[in-house]
Amino acid sequence: MTSQALRAPTAAVRPGRWLASLRPVQAAQWTAADIRRRLQLALAAIWLLDAMLQFQAFMFSKDFGRMLAATGQGNPAVIAGPIHWASQLISEHGTMTNAAFALIQLAIGLGIAWRPAIRLALAGSVAWAVAVWWFGEGLGGVLNGAASPVNGAPGAVIIYALLAVLLWPARTGTARTGKPAPFAASMATGVAAARALWLVLWGSLAYFALQPATAAGSALSSLVSGMAAGEPGWLAGTDTHLAAFLLHRGPGTAIVLAVVLAVIAVGIYLPDPAVRVVLILAVLTAAAIWIAEGLGGMLTGGSTDPNSGPMLALLAFAFWPLHARQDRKPDAAAAIDARSIAD
Amino acid sequence: MSGQSWLAYSFAALMLLTSAYCLTRLVVSWRHRRPTDHQVDGVHVLKCVAMAGMLVPSLRVFWVGGWEIVFGAGAVLFGWRMISDARARARSGRRSGHHLQHLLACVAMVYMLAAATAEVKPVSGGSAIGGLGSPAHLRTLALVLALGLFAYVVWTADRISSLAPVAAMQAHLATAVAPAAAGGGEPPATAAVASPAGTSQFRTKPRTRAPLSPRLAACCEIAIGVTMGYMLIMML
Repeated sequence: MTSQALRAPTAAVRPGRWLASLRPVQAAQWTAADIRRRLQLALAAIWLLDAMLQFQAFMFSKDFGRMLAATGQGNPAVIAGPIHWASQLISEHGTMTNAAFALIQLAIGLGIAWRPAIRLALAGSVAWAVAVWWFGEGLGGVLNGAASPVNGAPGAVIIYALLAVLLWPARTGTARTGKPAPFAASMATGVAAARALWLVLWGSLAYFALQPATAAGSALSSLVSGMAAGEPGWLAGTDTHLAAFLLHRGPGTAIVLAVVLAVIAVGIYLPDPAVRVVLILAVLTAAAIWIAEGLGGMLTGGSTDPNSGPMLALLAFAFWPLHARQDRKPDAAAAIDARSIAD
Repeated sequence: MSGQSWLAYSFAALMLLTSAYCLTRLVVSWRHRRPTDHQVDGVHVLKCVAMAGMLVPSLRVFWVGGWEIVFGAGAVLFGWRMISDARARARSGRRSGHHLQHLLACVAMVYMLAAATAEVKPVSGGSAIGGLGSPAHLRTLALVLALGLFAYVVWTADRISSLAPVAAMQAHLATAVAPAAAGGGEPPATAAVASPAGTSQFRTKPRTRAPLSPRLAACCEIAIGVTMGYMLIMML
């Protein structure tokens, strides 16, 4: 603050001007929320949602433990053993363990949102997500042949971990070149690593779309119709109609889905204008997957998360090219934000 | 509500604590002339008491339908303040308030109270908000409102570090007023307070009194948002 600014509040000063003298105190600790920060906040909101879903009555029942135990079926013993142990522990101490799970997720969500704790919370979210992926989702069915893009493969929660890594608050720009990052997801890991992770994720989805769990006979139809149970009428109706449509078109649809997912996977290496089209396609595909997933079963009272649809869409936003934004003066954006805070 | 009774009691206790704190803010503001957003604090007191009553029916303190009127009026008030701020912003180009979250919270309160009244369904633990028996459109709306509230909770948490601590505000107020007094000029005619979400409200106050802690007010907003989100999710 300049001395002139300190003297500014006089009789002629309007209330807003007077308050502006507080601005440096507030702005000193504040930077404009860039695209990466907004994505972090979206991730935080989803963790909060997960925490509250974890507080639902079903999660405190023995059925929740049995549901977790079922994810171990078909997995190698080294994976299934710990799942069985964890599900037994949860069944026996449902109240304590489930309350702890919910509180951990609440802490992660609030920690990501509260800037001083963001690194700790993101690191915690990676560890927690990996643990849930194993003990709660049976590695998303990747090893037991149950994985399908329509049932949340390769495990919704592992995408939380992926996002936490890609949105890690490292210094903006690639360390080697010193140039601004071309998209938010590359700010921490660099362009090559971020694109490789995108390729692996969407490429694996394309692969799973061609596996029997999706491509065989009426598998896709059964998956979608299974999501309709317990849903509100509008969503159950949508999924039922979709399942009826897929009943005799399952394998063909699975191939189309695999091609779309493969195009999205490799499309990230195309020039920016084409990447934008690919990312729009990714968001639309994620939305379609989410509908097929019955919004993750959130409206049934028995879901722990919104499933993979929203996470895939969030990931797509993290890869949106930033060139147009970087043409603007960063100081101006920061000044606008600081003014709004002071107001 | 279909949740656990101990959880309902825990959230009710949190709400009563928050309500007591917001009431204390109003009293301190009045007694010591410390600026705060009286309307927001007042609505917080009412919201917390109403939510505690919904979570634990033995804590109900109002007649059936009474709270709907109160929060309906609250929604109108914050809706009006949003419109006024938008007009002021159009005139001066300055952002002066963030009332959307208060409007959203009041609408969510009306929704929860209406749903509870429409479908009183006592379960062990004693809460009275419908669970899986709720009509489909109510469940969907509950989810939408909960998502809005969670967005507002993380937004508020993000801005906490932008809010100045009271001590820093006092120091700045002192440095802002001292030169004016030394120069013979009048100190500013009004004081303003930045509420947790950046809301500002102007009151005629002694010039050197710092506002009541905006950071603690933000924590109240977060506690209320999380509790309200929990209640809405329990309606799914």
